[in-house]
Amino acid sequence: MLLSTGLDLTQQVLPPRSLFVNHPMGNPFGRPGDGDQQRRILRAVLGLAERVTVPGTIEMWPEPWGEDFDDVIDRTLGAMGPS
Amino acid sequence: MKYVERLAHRYGQQGFPPYQWTINTEAPLTPLRRPLAECRVAMLTSGGVSRCAAPSWDPDARNDFRLDVIDADAPADDFQVHDSYYETDSAVEDINCVFPIERLREFATEGVIGSVAERQWSGFMGRIYKRQHVLEVAAPAFAAELGRDEVDLALLVPA
Repeated sequence: MLLSTGLDLTQQVLPPRSLFVNHPMGNPFGRPGDGDQQRRILRAVLGLAERVTVPGTIEMWPEPWGEDFDDVIDRTLGAMGPS
Repeated sequence: MKYVERLAHRYGQQGFPPYQWTINTEAPLTPLRRPLAECRVAMLTSGGVSRCAAPSWDPDARNDFRLDVIDADAPADDFQVHDSYYETDSAVEDINCVFPIERLREFATEGVIGSVAERQWSGFMGRIYKRQHVLEVAAPAFAAELGRDEVDLALLVPA
């Protein structure tokens, strides 16, 4: 299984089973110290192995991050350039 | 978030030719061979994670095929994180944000999964442009290691 924070990238690569969490990169399992959130996400992604029967399925994690993180994306992409 | 579009825009601004993305139109699917509660689980993080006693990752790594073994019982406060491609503050504060080793151990104790594979993994971090090497050498070698440990489920976590 794959835990993804980049939906369009995952749709291109198409792993067998993925869970997309709409979180900033660096927080796929959520916020530091929030063990309950980490457990919920880990349980969901492990559960893909039981649920998924169609190859390439991408499930959507339903809980929102709760705040805008567009500025984080911009900083991240700045570092990700090819040079 | 539209990473593909925004990366293409940034690459173009820097004068680079269009990036050749990997686009797969189909995926394999290996059915689970036993209930999750009996499965041995391994995780791979590509988030520049290493044990404190191990060398740190090059945060700007390119084509680095180093692969670290992380012992299943590694304490959560015995990790370092070096990766310039994402904001590592959360992972530094709590490694479970990118590599939930404590949560996985809890699930094994509670019987949600069968066991935590003795060898967990950190690798494939940074910028890797050698797609063919990944497909033909590095990924099959990693899969073989999982096979040696009789892993039933592998969870891949890009940061």
